[in-house]
Amino acid sequence: MALIKAPQSQPVNEDERRHARTARDLMADLAAADAATRRWAARDLAAFPEAVAVLVARLKVEAEVSVREVILTTLTRLGDDLAIAGLVDCLRSEDAALRNEALEAMKQLPEEVAPIMRGLLRDGDPDVRIFAVNILESLRHPEVEAWLIDVIQHDPHVNVCATAVDLLGEVGSDRAREALLGLKARFAQEPYVQFAASLALRRIDEG
Amino acid sequence: MRADPDVTRITISEEEFRKFQEYFYRKTGIQFDASKRYFVDKRLSERIRDTGNESFRGYFTLLRFQASGEELQTLTNLMTVNETYFFREDYQFRCLVDSILPELTARRAPGRPIRIWSIPSSSGEEAYSIAIHLLEYWRGLADWDVEIISSDIDTGILARARRGLYSERSVQNVPAPLRRKYFTRTDGGYQIGEELRGAVAFTRVNLSEPADTRPYRDFDVVFCRNLLIYFDELSRKAAAETFFDALRPGGFVLLGHSESMSRISNIYRIRKFPEAIVYQKPQEGR
Repeated sequence: MALIKAPQSQPVNEDERRHARTARDLMADLAAADAATRRWAARDLAAFPEAVAVLVARLKVEAEVSVREVILTTLTRLGDDLAIAGLVDCLRSEDAALRNEALEAMKQLPEEVAPIMRGLLRDGDPDVRIFAVNILESLRHPEVEAWLIDVIQHDPHVNVCATAVDLLGEVGSDRAREALLGLKARFAQEPYVQFAASLALRRIDEG
Repeated sequence: MRADPDVTRITISEEEFRKFQEYFYRKTGIQFDASKRYFVDKRLSERIRDTGNESFRGYFTLLRFQASGEELQTLTNLMTVNETYFFREDYQFRCLVDSILPELTARRAPGRPIRIWSIPSSSGEEAYSIAIHLLEYWRGLADWDVEIISSDIDTGILARARRGLYSERSVQNVPAPLRRKYFTRTDGGYQIGEELRGAVAFTRVNLSEPADTRPYRDFDVVFCRNLLIYFDELSRKAAAETFFDALRPGGFVLLGHSESMSRISNIYRIRKFPEAIVYQKPQEGR
């Protein structure tokens, strides 16, 4: 036995495929029994924006983590309004893993998520608002501080404000000072808010 | 009209840099942030001059619309970093021969060769280092065939890898007896022996292009060291997913010492061998 030179890998001939690679067939392959077929279908669907709804639907029922990852990568690559809406929908899921995966995907889409961020931060569900603040944590966007200030000025839910104030401690500037003082006054009976807001103010003072 | 030979007269505006950055990322997965501005501007200016253009605008049109894609390949060759050397991070090669291959061969019936993919190939040092480690330190080679395929996006560097000519600095970590055994002295350097040059297949692959990577399957081990650090988060994740489908169930990925799969993807199992931490596709992974 020995080191042997591999034959050069050749591109897969379209004729050798079991299915033509149309969007319709790829969408059908998303339900294939074999996980590798589902992964390849999800990967190739990155070329078909019309597949977003089917990808999101599959994401919600897909049990194999490696297939979920590829679907999320494809949705992130597509990154259009429908994809974002699908990811937002996942934030409301009872499945914690799916929520976290959607959250991570949205962090990759600052430009696309930005237009809906204000809406997310005013969602009726405080859990979704907390996820929205979590997304801001690594969303590289110039409005992050302004959004956080708006949250601590107006959000009625203490847990949402507490999540936002934690982040303001890292990204806040002088602009946040007044809102932080206002938050302390608004939640005077909440020791954690007092602590986190004071810490944020101290960090801002230290520059 | 003849182009101005002085590249310093060519300027790339902020907007042009952003356009190029976006396009190059889309085509190659390689992200240049503002800290790489000098590096990018210098190479872009050279290509603008060498293609007879006078400004970014004309050159960018050529880059985007040239049917052959030749200029994009030339520019990619210039923009990619090709610094490596023999036996770099050799604890991983020891891990391959002392831990990974014994485990792989213990659970497999003989017949199919062991397949190893080294990407990026650069000028071939990693692939040839793997080959030397197998020949020198893996007794299993008496019972198993091994294929080593080494791929890179840069066609120029692949041609260099096939020639196998190296500087003194590149081979300095190779023990003298092995240097004598596997290299011949040339003017100013060393050339890897014909036997090894004939044993490694060098191929051009853009890791960010599914059409390129699709044929790469049934590997037992993937070495992808110090490449993903140049990718943004999404491209890193896509690369990890590509390797997953390139591997046989139970296959292994080895990353560079500063890279961690745990920060990229959670589809692999972490395996702690005495020599190194590596990442494994689950046995039941299809």
